[in-house]
Amino acid sequence: MGILDKNLSLRNRNKMLVGVWEDEDSLVAATSELVHNGVKIHDVYTPYPVHGLDRIIGVRRSKLARVAFFCAMTGFTLVTTMIWYMYVHDWPMNIGNKPVRFTPSWAPVMFEGTVLCTAFGMAFFFFWRNRLVHGIKNELLDDRQTDDRSIITVELTDNTDQNSILETMKKHNPVELREFHNGVQTTI
Amino acid sequence: MIHDSIIRDRLVTGDKTAADVTRDIARPILNKPSTSWKIGFSLSIVFLGIFVASLFYTLWTGIGVWNINKSVMWGWDITNFVFWVGIGHAGTLISAVLLLFRQKWRMSINRSAEAMTIFAVVCAAMFPVFHMGRVWVGYWALPLPNGFGSLWVNFNSPLLWDVFAISTYFSVSLLFWYIGLIPDIATIRDKVKGKTEKAIYGFFSMGWTGSTRTWARYELVSLILAGLSTPLVLSVHTIVSTDFATSVIPGWHTTIFPPYFVAGAIFSGFGMVATLLVVARKVMNYENYITIGHLDAMTKIIMVTGSIVGIAYLTEFFIAWYSGVEYEQYAFTNRAFGPYWWAYWSMMSCNLIAPQVFWFRWARTTPWFIFIMSIVVNVGMWFERFVIIVTSLHRDYLPSSWVMYAGSLTEIGLFLGTFGIFFTCFFLFAKFLPVINMAEVKSILRNRE
Repeated sequence: MGILDKNLSLRNRNKMLVGVWEDEDSLVAATSELVHNGVKIHDVYTPYPVHGLDRIIGVRRSKLARVAFFCAMTGFTLVTTMIWYMYVHDWPMNIGNKPVRFTPSWAPVMFEGTVLCTAFGMAFFFFWRNRLVHGIKNELLDDRQTDDRSIITVELTDNTDQNSILETMKKHNPVELREFHNGVQTTI
Repeated sequence: MIHDSIIRDRLVTGDKTAADVTRDIARPILNKPSTSWKIGFSLSIVFLGIFVASLFYTLWTGIGVWNINKSVMWGWDITNFVFWVGIGHAGTLISAVLLLFRQKWRMSINRSAEAMTIFAVVCAAMFPVFHMGRVWVGYWALPLPNGFGSLWVNFNSPLLWDVFAISTYFSVSLLFWYIGLIPDIATIRDKVKGKTEKAIYGFFSMGWTGSTRTWARYELVSLILAGLSTPLVLSVHTIVSTDFATSVIPGWHTTIFPPYFVAGAIFSGFGMVATLLVVARKVMNYENYITIGHLDAMTKIIMVTGSIVGIAYLTEFFIAWYSGVEYEQYAFTNRAFGPYWWAYWSMMSCNLIAPQVFWFRWARTTPWFIFIMSIVVNVGMWFERFVIIVTSLHRDYLPSSWVMYAGSLTEIGLFLGTFGIFFTCFFLFAKFLPVINMAEVKSILRNRE
């Protein structure tokens, strides 16, 4: 599995059903029922984080915490090595004839370096995994999906029962239902 | 099961919908600047001009134009540095610590507090950088290979720790702020009409779509960043305090400095947040988002941290007496009753006594009074740093080097000028970016538990 989450792009989607909601409760209810009926939901787009929705549509728990730990260890090693190289190996500094070796006075720089590497390393992986790149083309399904509208997308294949999905969606009062075909949306 | 809370007041009043939140908060960005914005911004530019002029005079003539060519060699300069770094602490505290404690009231104020952090750290950095005198060799403070051996930097020095702490704090705060801004920049991207504006906001929104997958990871990354920022914010002011505490100057050589500085930083930071937000909520019509409940919560923190700082002042006095070290005893007696008694008692009145008024509910819920008190807190915290630096340095071990110190016009100009930097940045921020975190506020409209 690559780092980039390929599910996030709409570029290679042939046919999808797009349900648009304005009410959070109806959106969550519709999502739950669709999943309960065995429908594989491609994604749900919301203008704000709706807690629990990721679990409902089966998003696996992120491994970002492990990445953060890895970055922290890398940062810690790099900074400690840097201090040791500069302060002990390359040019031992004689201050009041104190021994030149590891001292607790290294701790602040080690700590700051570790935090810096962790934060930026993790952020880099977060951006990569989530296809967040400066200047990338926006793939929006609705002009208001970052404002007040939420969207459920279901990918349609030959085996999908489109009518039953539409019925379930309609039961939960969507604002609009659309079909997405090769980048073009038509209202159903 | 999710249900509406019956025990907590609504965090956002006025029965707002998600669309209302976007409309209200994005209004200053989508519309032309208001008259009050223009007046405020022009005033900030005037102060920025004072900074530029004072800095130009300092660089052109030399650092001798500051009154620090004596034993009070840190003078206003480091006073101002610590003052601004302290202010820079509330942003991360609100974002990180209150996030970890699941304090949802932070959501209306975290964005502006984080912005304030970044601008305050920029102001703070000006002072030690230009205090170096030969600022063009400022890069010597960094561990870079050089032509002196290589004679590297001294990792035992708290001044070097400062370089690492402040630069890390600035970078991580900026990252935290930016990640928090991405969903809101995307909202603005989808609202602005102009092609250029769309392109700029589009560039910074990084193609954000609001996918649930992204939101889940976004929340995790915010949580981990909060976990990192919490010890970071504590470490930064701890390290700033070690600039003093690791010395042997009476009045500075105390182990109480790290917690006392951190509490003071939170205290002054919240003071500045209150100053800005009491005005912003009125001028920008954000009363439904930054409610009296928010002001109430902030003033409680001001009162608690003010009391912690006050106890630290009293503890210092007690320990000076109890230690039996006559230099320490003299340093503290001199603080309270020496030639700078007025600064000491200004500090005590503003930081310890004045915030006790927040025991009264009226004081915590009256915006104009909170605004005045927030200014009092900021004045008090500036005096705290002035007292620590000047009273300890102006009476050396050698009576022959005893001096009196007052900031020169250039030093005063630089200090006033940093308010110009701070407010210019803040006004630009208020014009071009959402002052309140729209995405987070939308998630708490329903007052769910």
